[in-house]
Amino acid sequence: MSSSAILRHQEDTVPAAAAVAEPAPALAPPAKSPSFGTFALRWYRLNRDRLRATAIAVLSLAAFLIVWHLLTTYRVVFFVRFTNVPSPLAVYASFTKAIHDPRFLMHVILSCRRIFIGFSLAAIVGVPLGLIMGRFRLVHEVVFPVAEVLRPIPAIAWVPMAIMLWPTNEQSIVFITFLGSFFPILINTLHGMSLVDPVLVRAAQCLGAGERAIFREVYFPASLPHIFTGLTIGMGVAWVSLIAAEMISGQYGIGYFTWEAYSLVQYPDIALGMIAIGVLGLGSSLLIRGAGHLVMPWRST
Amino acid sequence: MSAIQESAPRGHIEVRDFALSYETIDGSVEAVTNTHIHVDPGEFVSIVGPSGCGKSTFLNAVAGFLKPTTGSIKVDGEVVTSPSAERGMVFQQYSLFPWKTVRENVEFGLKMRGMPRSQRERAARTLLGLAGLEAFEKHYPEKLSGGMKQRVGIVRALATGPKVLLLDEPFGALDAQTRVIMQQILTNMWQRLKISVLFVTHDIDEAIFLSDRVYCMTARPGSIKAEIPIPLERPRQQAMMMSSEFLALRRGLMSLIREESLKAMGGELNELGMQGLNIELHGHSLADVL
Repeated sequence: MSSSAILRHQEDTVPAAAAVAEPAPALAPPAKSPSFGTFALRWYRLNRDRLRATAIAVLSLAAFLIVWHLLTTYRVVFFVRFTNVPSPLAVYASFTKAIHDPRFLMHVILSCRRIFIGFSLAAIVGVPLGLIMGRFRLVHEVVFPVAEVLRPIPAIAWVPMAIMLWPTNEQSIVFITFLGSFFPILINTLHGMSLVDPVLVRAAQCLGAGERAIFREVYFPASLPHIFTGLTIGMGVAWVSLIAAEMISGQYGIGYFTWEAYSLVQYPDIALGMIAIGVLGLGSSLLIRGAGHLVMPWRST
Repeated sequence: MSAIQESAPRGHIEVRDFALSYETIDGSVEAVTNTHIHVDPGEFVSIVGPSGCGKSTFLNAVAGFLKPTTGSIKVDGEVVTSPSAERGMVFQQYSLFPWKTVRENVEFGLKMRGMPRSQRERAARTLLGLAGLEAFEKHYPEKLSGGMKQRVGIVRALATGPKVLLLDEPFGALDAQTRVIMQQILTNMWQRLKISVLFVTHDIDEAIFLSDRVYCMTARPGSIKAEIPIPLERPRQQAMMMSSEFLALRRGLMSLIREESLKAMGGELNELGMQGLNIELHGHSLADVL
């Protein structure tokens, strides 16, 4: 009790110091319109760090391609064997061929559809379940133990069970994708609910908010940042699970395409499949991040 | 809004035989005991006391967040059972909703009451204008300074036209200059709205400068040690803080609080194994010198 009094005193003084250091809110820029030259110079100064990072990123990717090219053209064998690894040019050639091939596009579209359905279902079930578990203790006490037992099982380990459970191959693959993304979404939503500042809840109560309004106006928006963390992680795991499921049990899909390329000794297509998976994964994370910015305008600076 | 309040003065707080204790493994611990206070309609009353004396706990009970173990809290004759918009509250931690703009924060109470959007937008703009914040209505709280955040917090609590305003060390986290300005703003709003205010602080100057009456609380378990009327004229200016009248009140309150702070600190120092410092003697001899 007594030591908490000391701590409290420190709390009182520290933010006061922070408040002094706070800058005044941004003033409107000077009205005079600058010439193009000064404008460009200013833009350069403000974005110097970002330009630098972009330039280095381009150089680094170029270096990666050059090293890849050298390792494959000279068929280096040094612990790892580059003998059969396709060169970047060979992969590019198979890429130009593939984009005109409706079968390759079908593989990509099918994988995207599986991700879309599996991930959406996981979000539609996981987010509300997490919110309800965070608010109602009984639901938490009932659901949490089961979730904790099932959560450590990797989605890939569900493949045989999924095939038994679902009548079609397509459904079992979507189920695996769903499982992969479900738990990160649920756990992060729950985590977000547990971190809601109780002062905000009290403030809402003092302003006449009832139980439902507090849920809608406080708990939900306060948990959104963690919900989106869960969605981002869930999307990553969804791709991992999907590709594994497609390789094991699939017909069609970009994971199947990659595995098939190996069986058919189409080595450049292996790399093409891998790169396609990487690009699709990156694209879907960017979509989620974009959605996060739209839904949480107060977080974008 | 003020016309209604003038015709029928509201916001009479009456607390009788109040005690609040909580259960621990060692048995029940009393946070506040044997406390009686009252706030008349339109009166500005402060509670001062050493850190950890239970004054915030007491205020939370008046707000309806905590239930008294014994005794009763009544506002205009009705027993307080749960938080409501009739008792607006301003917290020490800035409690603005980060996902709402300044105006949406101020509108929140009106929205809860079911006021249509256009109407509550207009009301919020008017109130923000009174606090000199109309230029920031579209900002998110994160972009505001501490003083601005707390101004928005006060405006938000007043927007629904509560009977009483409860403030829990609202300016504790602000720097000295900002604090003085905030005290002026609060005084202005209080006089305009003729609302009852119960203000908790550990700052003696602040309590004297703002209040009609000050209650001084004892160290834990907190109870009312003294009730001091502040007969200073209104409107009050900052220069008043140098007047002999103000200083006399300050000296009186200081000695009351010092006794309690030493009691509280004495316990603390004992627990820390620092009894050898003999702080009590020091405190008194220092006081004599001053």
